[in-house]
Amino acid sequence: MILTSLDESLVAAAQGGSAEAFSRLVERHQQAVRAFLRRACGNWAQADDLAQETFLAAWTRIGRLKTGASVRAWLCGIGYNKHLSAVRSAGRDRAREASYEADRDATLDAPAEDKLALEAAMACLPAEQRACVALCLAADFSHAEASDALRLPLGTVKSHVSRGRARLLQALGVSSDDAG
Amino acid sequence: MTQADKNLADQNRADDRLRALFALDEPPARDPVFSTEVMARVMRQRFQEDVAFLLGVTAVGAGALWALWPVLQPVLLTLSRGFAPALGALALAGCALLVLDARARTAVGLAS
Repeated sequence: MILTSLDESLVAAAQGGSAEAFSRLVERHQQAVRAFLRRACGNWAQADDLAQETFLAAWTRIGRLKTGASVRAWLCGIGYNKHLSAVRSAGRDRAREASYEADRDATLDAPAEDKLALEAAMACLPAEQRACVALCLAADFSHAEASDALRLPLGTVKSHVSRGRARLLQALGVSSDDAG
Repeated sequence: MTQADKNLADQNRADDRLRALFALDEPPARDPVFSTEVMARVMRQRFQEDVAFLLGVTAVGAGALWALWPVLQPVLLTLSRGFAPALGALALAGCALLVLDARARTAVGLAS
């Protein structure tokens, strides 16, 4: 609650033109936005570029953020739109797969098999489903918060999370019947 | 333990496993390099917007001045003749104030 009110005061100051307040918002939310984009697009370098674009867009649009709205969800929503635009504009899927493979090699030192299986399964999910999974399963967003961020109906988010979860667990060798 | 409890426990265990795997590629909570890059881009964008705004204002002002110059010129000439002594006196007073103010500040130790 204190954190939310800190966000609110930082947003109010940034809306008044304070770059310092905005800089603190960047510090506070960069982890969530970058983590979400890494999972949504599967390419770390591209995700970080998109995260920078997200914060730039947030700076120009911060006046439109309503009082009391979740800053984290708002930023992830902007990031998701940036990601979708990037995918649409560049036939990015093939390049993404190639860079995904490159990234996969680079992260082989991580606990290998499960992690790779999870990444491969994430890469196979449709964009919307992947975003829902990235927010709700990886980042502890509530379904309502994810629905707000991604501008998807609540039921769609729930169904994406449920299906995505089943596919990820299947990739990890856990039967979805055993796990709910 | 009922079957429902067992299912719930399995579900939680599976979710925890997923969460733990996702956490492996979590970016750091604090990343000064990333934050600095973002703020540098924000400042650059702000500077470009300011320059664009000033260029726009200057262009509009120059255009207005050019359009109104035939009307303004005679008025300004008349006014400048009448106000020249007063403007001179004001400029002198301003200079005196600046000098005296600086001396007063130095005297009370507010400036070196």
